[in-house]
Amino acid sequence: MKQTSPVKAMTSRQRVMAALKREPVDRTPVINPTSVATVELMDMVDAPFPHANRDAPAMARLAATGHTVLGFDSVMPVFSIIQESSALGCKMQWEQKDNWPTVRMNEPIWKVPDDIHVPSDYLSHPDIVCVLDAIRLLRKEFGDDVAIIGKTMGPWSLGYHCFGVEPFLLMSLDNPGKTMQCLERMKEATIQFGLAQIDAGVDALTLPDHATGDLVSGEYYKRFLMDMHSEFVSDIPVPLILHICGRTVDRMDYIAQTGMAAFHFDSKNSPSESAKIVADRISLVGNINNPETLFAKNPEDVRAEVIKNLESGIQLVGPECAIPLQTRIENLVEIPKAVREWHSTHAHVHPPSHTH
Amino acid sequence: MAELSDIANEFIREEIEEYLERPEEIERNIELFARIRPAMQEIAAALIEGENDVVDRLTQQALADGTEALEIMDDGLIAGMGIVGIKFREAMIFVPEVLACARAMKAGMHYIEPILSDAGVEPIAKVLMGTVKGDLHDIGKNLCIMMLRGSGFEVVDLGVDTSDDDFIDAIEEHQPSILGMSALLTTTMPNMGKAIEAFIDADVRDDVMVMVGGAPVTQEFADDMGADGYGKDALACVELAKRLAGVQN
Repeated sequence: MKQTSPVKAMTSRQRVMAALKREPVDRTPVINPTSVATVELMDMVDAPFPHANRDAPAMARLAATGHTVLGFDSVMPVFSIIQESSALGCKMQWEQKDNWPTVRMNEPIWKVPDDIHVPSDYLSHPDIVCVLDAIRLLRKEFGDDVAIIGKTMGPWSLGYHCFGVEPFLLMSLDNPGKTMQCLERMKEATIQFGLAQIDAGVDALTLPDHATGDLVSGEYYKRFLMDMHSEFVSDIPVPLILHICGRTVDRMDYIAQTGMAAFHFDSKNSPSESAKIVADRISLVGNINNPETLFAKNPEDVRAEVIKNLESGIQLVGPECAIPLQTRIENLVEIPKAVREWHSTHAHVHPPSHTH
Repeated sequence: MAELSDIANEFIREEIEEYLERPEEIERNIELFARIRPAMQEIAAALIEGENDVVDRLTQQALADGTEALEIMDDGLIAGMGIVGIKFREAMIFVPEVLACARAMKAGMHYIEPILSDAGVEPIAKVLMGTVKGDLHDIGKNLCIMMLRGSGFEVVDLGVDTSDDDFIDAIEEHQPSILGMSALLTTTMPNMGKAIEAFIDADVRDDVMVMVGGAPVTQEFADDMGADGYGKDALACVELAKRLAGVQN
């Protein structure tokens, strides 16, 4: 760790924004770039699913608990990955309180590049407006104190939703040129929604684009997405946090070249190995395991994973992905608690830290 | 004991040399392909390459030449799919490539299946597969189905969002020996356990061996819910299904 003189106390928002830029922080921020909504939190603020995915005040109430109840440094109003797909015309299954809404991917809406159409009133769709209004409500509530992170889906993920996973992946093998055309057309939805969230008041955006090692190779990421993700950095003027679930170490070097502010990575990847690969070119966010640790284990197990991340030089700590809706609050509040206690016995760190 | 040089097809020799790492798998595949006729090796090679048009043409040609449908399936299609499964497990190929291989398998089976059915040839076992209630993700389940079919199982696909009643009705209708459940979401993973409880209540639990899988599922979770087995990926699913069906690898 690089030792520096203590950094004066920061607000949550300052801490998150500094860590995303790999600047000095008073302590490592704890953030939730995907979702920390749980059934318990829904009950606490009367904002159950699916209502909280479609009603701005409910969405804002539930998102706020990420800071007010759990003590995270950021709030995230987009709990799922379906708002854009709903606005693009995908068939939806909104589900109940105890499950996430999902796109009916086996009923795809597009087959060829010419089918792709981002409606002229895309940003007026109720499921888009809901997010934008929730962001405004959160900004009003938290002012400059808490980082508000929005979410705009990347074109690869939109491809799964709009073309169906198997047809989209087969097309990528059979006709890479056609696939690039599709990505070029779908990226308009990513950029439009991202810019609208900036106007509404977000500080940063998560950009999920699930070119995961569980489905495609690292070379696929390079071929289809690396340059496009660099374009997003130029076109969307807030720090971008790329999120890809699953195994990703084979593409982290490419991701680190995109200019993204951060990469939100999964617990299938070792924090220390990941930190070595990205080598301070990008911040890392993660990677507390969801199903085995946060969902099924106890606070001491959560603490052990937090410490493993801190000692590996991970710049922003948080769950690896959207947490299971039945996760106990005591496991979630342990994350910021463990971070604070770790820092009380360790010198302030000045990212980049792990190369020293 | 056969040698690599006993395999006629150069592509198959290279595949074994380049991609297979486990000694027992190398040995098993050398033994297998060394006894397979060159024409069937050619079908296996085309399948591994994901060339559905070539598999289609070679399968028709082999049938026209008088080759038994069972030989084409076992020595061409299933043998080829075996290599595909290993490459996928070892992350040497990924889902798009597996999908292309499965498409090639399907091209060949299009001609083979009706012949085997007419001849009354039995599959290894019948498997019911479904993604559980509330979950619309099916890529993992579909990969398992492709590999199971590519290994000689008959599979009935119940699709996504499968309710306990749908599973129970399908058990009664199809009388499978194995039932596979998949979930991608942590929210739907517990529905596997609920389904098993429903099978007990409906008095069909003892009729099937239950296997489970999916990204958030673990062996521990599978044990807790009372499943008979857990597979971490598509190839593990096939190995598990063979074990549950009492078949030696």
